[in-house]
Order: sequence, then structure tokens, then C-alpha cells
Amino acid sequence: MFVSLQFRLPPTVTSTPPLKLLPPNAHVPSLSSMSVRHVRRLRLPRLSLRATPQLVVVEDDEERGANGRPHRDGASTEERNLLPPGLRRETMPVHVAVIMDGNRRWAQIRGLPASSGYEAGVRSLRSVVELCCKLGISVLTVFAFSTENWCRPKVEIEFLMDLFGRAVREDLESFLRENIRISVIGNTSKLPNSLQQLIANVEETTKKNFGLQLIVAVSYSGQYDIVQACQRIAMKVKDGVVALDDVNESLIERELETNCTQFPYPDLLIRTSGELRISNFLLWQLAYTELFFSKSLWPDFGEIEFLEALQDFQRRQRRYCGRSLN
Amino acid sequence: MELRNEMQRAYCCIAQIGNLVLLLLWHILHFIVSIFYFVLGIARVAESYFISSGFLKKYKSLNLGKLRCLAIVIESEEAYQTLQVIELLQWLGAIGVKSVCLYDKEGVMKKSKQAILGKLNNAVIFEESGENDKLVDHNHMMLEFASFSDGKEAVTKAANLLFMKYLKLNKLAGDQEGQIFTEPHMAEALKAIGCKGADPDLLLVYGPARCHLGFAVWRIRYTEIVHMGPLKSMRYGSLIKAIYKFTMVRQNYGK
Repeated sequence: MFVSLQFRLPPTVTSTPPLKLLPPNAHVPSLSSMSVRHVRRLRLPRLSLRATPQLVVVEDDEERGANGRPHRDGASTEERNLLPPGLRRETMPVHVAVIMDGNRRWAQIRGLPASSGYEAGVRSLRSVVELCCKLGISVLTVFAFSTENWCRPKVEIEFLMDLFGRAVREDLESFLRENIRISVIGNTSKLPNSLQQLIANVEETTKKNFGLQLIVAVSYSGQYDIVQACQRIAMKVKDGVVALDDVNESLIERELETNCTQFPYPDLLIRTSGELRISNFLLWQLAYTELFFSKSLWPDFGEIEFLEALQDFQRRQRRYCGRSLN
Repeated sequence: MELRNEMQRAYCCIAQIGNLVLLLLWHILHFIVSIFYFVLGIARVAESYFISSGFLKKYKSLNLGKLRCLAIVIESEEAYQTLQVIELLQWLGAIGVKSVCLYDKEGVMKKSKQAILGKLNNAVIFEESGENDKLVDHNHMMLEFASFSDGKEAVTKAANLLFMKYLKLNKLAGDQEGQIFTEPHMAEALKAIGCKGADPDLLLVYGPARCHLGFAVWRIRYTEIVHMGPLKSMRYGSLIKAIYKFTMVRQNYGK
């Protein structure tokens, strides 16, 4: 939708600058002619395309520099050029959470077994992880398996456990290369022993990586997270480390499983497949998280859909001065 | 030399015309996009009108069997618009919703409780309906008022109850944390401190932000969350549509 066009003039004796026409969303198209008498500067309004269509609001131009480009604090030209059009570095979410829903439906629509849907889901996850690395997002938390999912058929659960182990083994090299840190949250005691060991190894191997932190919620329940935090605090109270009177919300927050990251509160939650609920995911942490419900099924959720979610988030951030709890 | 200059001038003219054409195309494109969103906005208003007027048959009779509890989350700044809140509740009453939890972070609606109840003919406060809230007269709407203190603060208080129980049992019978700190026990502790409200089936958010603003964290595991826009732009048709869409949802609760 955003078009970048450039029309260069040949070099002249007077060495006038070339004419450029750039998309209004990222740059101000400006006309500069070859001589003073032809100079005419046009300031174009900026329009936003919204995920939920409303009457378009024409936003005022931001303060712009002499070259017509908007001021960006601390961002080099190279950094600006790395971002897709329509996205801003300064309002990029620090922590994105994703409920990866719709794998089985995706397979069902195509007449494939559920396992194909899950495998396609893993490919989507890889793609989103790569995007997060490119866009400089610090934390990505994905809801891979909930406590309620244990009620699914045994064959399906075994396949999922196997798929999880395979994916981790296959991608370990890539995690190390891309400096990705892996953390797993949830009640992992219910997982097969081999998978528990693998998780422990991967967490240990990648703990010093300082790039994207990928938090995978497996056998996770938001209510369980709160309860286990209380249990940990109870042990500390019993051991005299913490006084009962000192127990408050901050203490509970520090004991939640998301304490594995510096940024435990997601700025943006994306749920795919069109469902409009959070399904017992990060109940405590999502109080002020912007919610984006995408109609795409998870295996179909790719770069375009992810960028749409980010653009929608940034529009809301820009207009409503969203608070950050990180 | 002169020929070269002439050619350069001609090329520059062509380039300028080309840029103007591109600019024009850009404006036309934006104009088309603006028209598209304008038409979409008109369509939404029209749809809301047709829904409100009963022209669209599928919205005429809503099956509210699945909607046992509806939560309304309003930005605290907008919650001061008491008349609009009352109008919203009157709409819900007309639709047939029997149990509503009103939430705003700072408790503005809690403070306006009496003013709100005074304008509603058939509403009772949730705490005053007694233990048998399930047997509330079908002619009445049960209203619960909640704020931030009923969310994370309430969980903290409930946790304190569990801590005291744990410390007591620990002195008597040793390590009991596995038996004390469970989800059902937390739910019981929340009821014990007065948080007896049911988990809402549907949560409507009125305000600019698309988040639930700290609504009772323990109660929204499987709650459908719908953003309705600012309270000042609320429409009866949109409300009916949101409730209708909810009635068509099928949850499998992770299974």
C-alpha cells in the first residue's frame, strides 16, 4: 500500500538537487526545482490505514527537519531503512505475546491431519521469531501448550511433545547464531523427562545470549502462575526471608514465572484464529496489554499479518499515549 | 553545448511533469482510501441503525442462555459520564441481560453507585442480593461494581489468607504448601474476602485503549473480550451485535 517512487534529474550545470517523491507515511514528498523561481514546497497530510476501518483521521505533520524528513531521536538512517514502511522504532513494543491458535482448524480446512497443522504452526513461529529479531523486539512470549490441553487425545499430546523436542533440537544452532535466549515457563514437571532435560539444556546453553528472548509457555496456566508465585512467597515467609506484612502485589509479580525476563509485561498480545479471549494466558501480566485479535489461523500468520498488528499497536500508542509497565 | 543544455532543460521539464503526475496519483490514491473508510463508517452506522430498528431478523431475538454474566469495563475518565453509563445499563436491561459487572480502575462508578441505581428501575446490587444470587427475580438486573481493588489487590489479600492458613498448618503438620496453594483454594479465599462475582462470559471495553485495564485477573480466563470504542460513541446496534456474536461462539476450553 505504501509506494516509494523516485524520479531523478540528470546532473546540470547549476548542480540542483534531484527531485524525489516518497510515501507520506515515512517521508514528506517534497518538490524542489532546479532554480529558485520554480521552488514550491508541498506539505502532504499523512493518512493511517487501520486494521478496524473507521473514518480516516488526517494527522498533523510532525516537526520536520530541513530536508523534510521527520526528526527521530537516536535512530540512524540505516536503522530507519531497516524498518518496513509505517513502523517506528521509538514505538515498537518491547514485549510481544502471542496465542498461537488455529493449527487444527488450518489442517481441517485442507483435509490434513492435525499434525500437519502443528508443523505448519512451527514454521509460522520461526518466521515470527525472525521478524522479531529484525525489528528489535526484546521479548516474544508464545503460548504453546496450556494445562487445559492435557485433556486432548493422548496421540495428539505425544505428537506435540515430540514436535516440541524436535523443533528445539533443530533450531538450537540457529538460536545460538541469532543470539536468541530461550526460556520455558509453565508446569514442566508434567512433561516427559527427556523433554525436561532438553529444556534445561537449551535454557542453560542460551542464557547468556543477549538478543531476542523467546519465552515458550508450555503446560502453562495463568491461574497456576499466580498460585505458584504465592507458594514461593509462602516458603519465603516460612523461612523468615519475607515478613507477612510485606506481602503485596509487587512481591507476587516478582515471583511470577515471567520473572525470567527484564520485561515481564507484554505491550501487545496477538491472538490468532479470530477468537476473542486470552484463555488463561498471563492473566496477571496482561492488565494493560493492548489486545490484537487476528482472524488469520496461526499457520497463515506471517509477515504481513505481524506487521499489521504492530502498525495497529503503534497507531494506538501514538494516539492514546499507551503506558509501559516495563 | 546549446543542444545539450536544451536537452537537459527538456528532460527537467519532463521530470517535473512526471513528479506532478505522481503526486497527483498519490493524492488520488489517498482520496480513494479516505472515501473507502468514509463509506465503511457510514455502513457501520447504517448497520447499527438497522439492528436497533429490528430490520435485521437475526438480531431480533438473542439467545442469552450463554450470557450469565456480562462485564463492562470503562476508562475511568469516561466513567464520569454517569448518564451514558445509565443509558448503557438501560439498553442492557432492555436486551434482557440479568447480571452486569461494572468496572473502572479508579472506582468512579462505585462512588456513583447510588446515582446509577436511582435511575434504574429494576436493578439490585450484587452484594445485597444475598447468598442465593442465582435465584434473583427475573425482573431484576444484578449489578456488581468493581475497581482495581477487586483485581490484583484482592488476589493479594486472598493470598494473605492462604499464607496464614499455611503457616498455621505448617506448625501443626509440617510442609503443606502443596495442599494449600491450589487454584480451587485461591478461588475460595477470594470468595472469603468478598469477591464472589462470577467469571464474566463477555467483557465489553469502552474507551480508547484495547485492554481490560486490570479487571479482576482471576476471573477472565475464558472471557470473550470485545472493544466497543469510546463510551461517547456507544450505539445500541453495536451492543446487540457484540452480544449476538458472542452467542454464536463455541469454546472448547483448550480441549
